[in-house]
Order: sequence, then structure tokens, then C-alpha cells
Amino acid sequence: MSNPRVAIFDFACCEGCQLQVVNLEEDILSLIALVDPVEWREAMSDHSDSYDIAIIEGSITRPEDVDRLKTIRERAKILIALGACATMGGINKLKNNFDLKEVRQAVYGAAAGMAHLNTEPTRALDEIVKVDFKVHGCPIDNRELGAIIRCLIMGKTPVIPTYPVCVECKKNEVVCRYEFNEICLGPVTRAGCGARCPSRGFWCFGCRGYAEEPNVAAASDVMDHYGKTVEDLKSRLTLFVGQQEFPP
Amino acid sequence: MGVVTVDLKMLNVWVEGLIRGGRVFGVQAKNNRFQFAPLLMAANLRLDYDVTVIPPKKYMQPAREDLLTFEGAAGFETCLDQEPFILIGVHPYDVAAIAQMDAVFSGDNVDVHYMTRRKQATVVACDVQAASANVFAGCMGTATVDKGFDILLTRVGDHYVVDSRTHKGEVILGNLVKAPKADAVSLARREQVWEDNRKYLRKHELRMAPETLPTLLEASCDHPVWEEKSQRCFSCGSCNMVCPTCYCFDVRDDVRWDLKGGARVRDWDGCMLRDFATVAGGHNFRKNRADRYRHRYYRKGKYMPAKIGHISCVGCGRCISACVTKIANPVEVYNRLLEVR
Repeated sequence: MSNPRVAIFDFACCEGCQLQVVNLEEDILSLIALVDPVEWREAMSDHSDSYDIAIIEGSITRPEDVDRLKTIRERAKILIALGACATMGGINKLKNNFDLKEVRQAVYGAAAGMAHLNTEPTRALDEIVKVDFKVHGCPIDNRELGAIIRCLIMGKTPVIPTYPVCVECKKNEVVCRYEFNEICLGPVTRAGCGARCPSRGFWCFGCRGYAEEPNVAAASDVMDHYGKTVEDLKSRLTLFVGQQEFPP
Repeated sequence: MGVVTVDLKMLNVWVEGLIRGGRVFGVQAKNNRFQFAPLLMAANLRLDYDVTVIPPKKYMQPAREDLLTFEGAAGFETCLDQEPFILIGVHPYDVAAIAQMDAVFSGDNVDVHYMTRRKQATVVACDVQAASANVFAGCMGTATVDKGFDILLTRVGDHYVVDSRTHKGEVILGNLVKAPKADAVSLARREQVWEDNRKYLRKHELRMAPETLPTLLEASCDHPVWEEKSQRCFSCGSCNMVCPTCYCFDVRDDVRWDLKGGARVRDWDGCMLRDFATVAGGHNFRKNRADRYRHRYYRKGKYMPAKIGHISCVGCGRCISACVTKIANPVEVYNRLLEVR
């Protein structure tokens, strides 16, 4: 059996997640023993329209992106969203909080009217096409990506945590940021990062998006207890999950 | 087996000796809290601590461990941690919890991974010198213990009473066997410490005898407290993770890049987590937050007593502190059940 053909594509993003794939370093050799990369802008110059697995980073912000994404979806058997921009729109979704004309003006100044700078509200991949697997985080954890790819090749369903970051903080014996009267998004954010930020003394930004069934109302309810306001909480949520939909 | 008294200097010398002799974990300060960690020098030991963030269960059942490694057709090898170790500073409520976990892991299917570590452990317990903010061990009968440890240290004034109860304890006593036998005054002062701890380690007051909990819970399935409290539950499992008597785990295979070898890994799981009860086919038999929330209190107060004969809450209060939304106080929950609905 030949190895699956894999293509990596990028849309609106910093390309840091793709860089995390490059950062696998020696493990890239292990990776390419299992899959044949046929397009991967940061690591090779080849191009291909024929692939089994498409790994896509970045969010969708322009009409032409929508067409390109749909074409990739048609060609790929499996589509993997790579990183926060692809899985939930990421930081790019911040602009959806503003009038888009003002956004263009603020970013491009006098050139804002030029046609190629056209922009539309940011969308995650699954707001347009079917996404088979999501690799969460900003940036992604390349070990998690490796585990997901190995699972797919073995025909296993990858296990992605559905529970909040608190689980990993406790396993790491991290003292809760709330004990320092700080708002941390850990209790509503999907684990899987190994509580990377709280373990280093910083509150969770929520870069892996909401955990399944996040209890955001509970978070609002306890702000008083920590001498904070619901507005304080909202200001933190804005960065990654402000625009993310979740079941009530 | 004798009961001796040692001064602080001699205790330090003894601990230094233990550190030189092998693997020692002791209570130390970290980030304004306390934790069990590898002890590198006796001076770091903080027997005056109030409570540790994570209980010493992590030395018998680590948050993550390899159960076995496999190499494709070459078969597998069971992973067992056989290196002896000493735990210094285990509070009575944690000693009680370890005894419960011993019953769990040695019953039904004997858990060889847990039991191997447990057999290698020498437990040096220490009576509580500072009450933590949420301790209620006094209500649970676990403020003091008379078994389950190898050595018990009790601070009485400017010295410690050292009470060795087992062969393992004798083995590590070393020079302390030459220490003066505890006199009547020291023993009386130790009695006083025990009496005080039973009386004062009650930051929350359980308004019932713990033994009556199974009966109370029997009749409380539909009590409104479950729905009410769980509305504020993150399902974050913090109460599970910090609990000295929560032992649930998940097991999975991590396969290496060669797709042949790898490890079967087990890590802590918790009944408050959304997918804890998700089984093959995607069915989740405790889908609602309130069901999971109720389950935890039934587990501690009803199911475990039926299984091992003890209420599975030792009153350490860690869950109360760890819960961000402050809904995890078992005393508050159980007391509520007494109220008319």
C-alpha cells in the first residue's frame, strides 16, 4: 500500500502552525516515512492537485479563499484544520467585532480602497466546508499533530480532550491562577496543551477554543468572588473565543 | 517498637541520613503552597505545612504512567516501579486515604502497578501542626490515625515524638533507636495534640455522623441540591484530581512513529468530566452535569462504603479550595440533604 499523499495549505494566518510542523525536526523523517508530502509551502517547492489528506492552517477572510477552500475539500479525502485560525477563526476573528470599512482603513490607510484588499468577516474552515479533524491551539502542539496523523494511518480515531485545561493544571500540580485572583480561561478551555501557560505562571488565553459544553455562565457568576467583573471576563474571552459558537 | 523523643536538630540529622540512603519525598513550599516533592536537603522539609495541593497518592498512582511497553510481534513488557522510597510528612487524613486506596487496588483485580509501588513505600506520617483553610478531618474521624503508617511524628513543643509501628519503620529509624524513650510528659502532650486536632480540624462542621451518610443519600436522589449546585459546575474535574480517594483512570495506547512499538498509558480521569461515562458507540450514561455532580457525592458517601467499608471522604478540604466556583464543599452538600426540601 502506498503512503497517503498529504498537502499542507495556508490561508489568513501567521503560518506559525505550519512552522510547528517544520519544527518536528528529526521526526519529519519519521513523518515522511508514513506520508508523502506533495505540497507544503514552508518546506518544499512542489505543487500538486492530487492528495488524500489536506492539512489547512489559517482562516477564511476573502471571497476567493472560499472558492480555493471548496476546491481543496473536493480533492481531499480527509481535511484537517490546523491551529486556532483554521479551527475557530482565531485572532483574525477579532475584526468581526468592528465595521469592516473601519478595519480596512485602520490597517491599510490610503490604500484601503484597493480591490485586492477586499475583506469579509472571518470564518473558520468548518463554517464553509466539512472538517474531519481539528488540531487545536495557537500554535498547535506538533506532538499532538503527530499522534493524530499516526492514528489516522492506523485507522484509529484520535482522542482529543473534551474537558477543560484545569485537569492538566492539577496533574502538573499548578496552583490555580484564581488563587492569585487572576481570571484564567482554563475552566472553559479545551485541554490538550498540557496547561502550557498556567504551568509557567500565566493565565490561559483560551487558544484551543471552548471545551465541550463550556459553562461560561458559571464563570460569569463567580467574577464577584474574585473581585472581578463580567466585563473583565468578556475582555479575556474576546481574544480567541469571543466569536465562537457553543451550545447553551 | 519504641516511642522516642528527638529534638529538631537530631530530626534533621536523621532526615539527612534518609536522603543519603535513597529516594525520599517530603513536603516542601512552592508558589505559596505546599507540595510533596523529591527532598534534597532536610532543611527544605516543612512539617509545619497545612495541606499539599495534590495528595501523596501521586507516588502510588502517578497522574500519568506507562503500564506496559510493546514492540509489535515481539510482545510486551509490564512496567513496574520497584525502587523503594520514603514519604515524609503525610498527614493523618492522607494516611487514611492511602489505606482506602490500598483496599481498592488490592481488591477485585489486584493492580500490580499500584501495589508494587505501595510495597516499596515507607510512610512517615506527621500529625497536623497547622490547620488548612478548609480542613474538616475532625468530622470524618481522620484528624488522627493509629495505623496505616510506618512512623508517626508528632511535634510536642520543641521536640518530636517519633513512634515507629512497623518493621519498615524500624529499618529506617537508624540512630533514632538510641534516642531517649518518650517520657510520660511527652506522651501526655501528644495525647493533647491528638485531642486538639480532633477538636479543631473542623473548618466546616458536618451535622451528622459520617456513618449515617449512606442512609441519608439513599433517600436523596431527587434532592434539588444536585441541580442547583451543578449549574455552576465547570465539569473541570479539579475536585477529582486533588482528591486523595479519587482513583479513576483512563487507559490508552500511544504508538510510536514506526507504528509497531509504543506504550500503554494510564492517566487520571474524573467522574465530573463530560466524557467520563462515554462508552463505545458514543453513548454517555451521565450526560448531564447534575448527574455527574450527584455521582461524586454518592460515590464518596454511599458506593465506596459499600465497597470498602469507609466513607470515602477524609476531610482534607482540597476539593473545597480547588473549586473555582465554590460548589465542591462536601460538608455543605451533605448538610443540605438534612434540610427539608
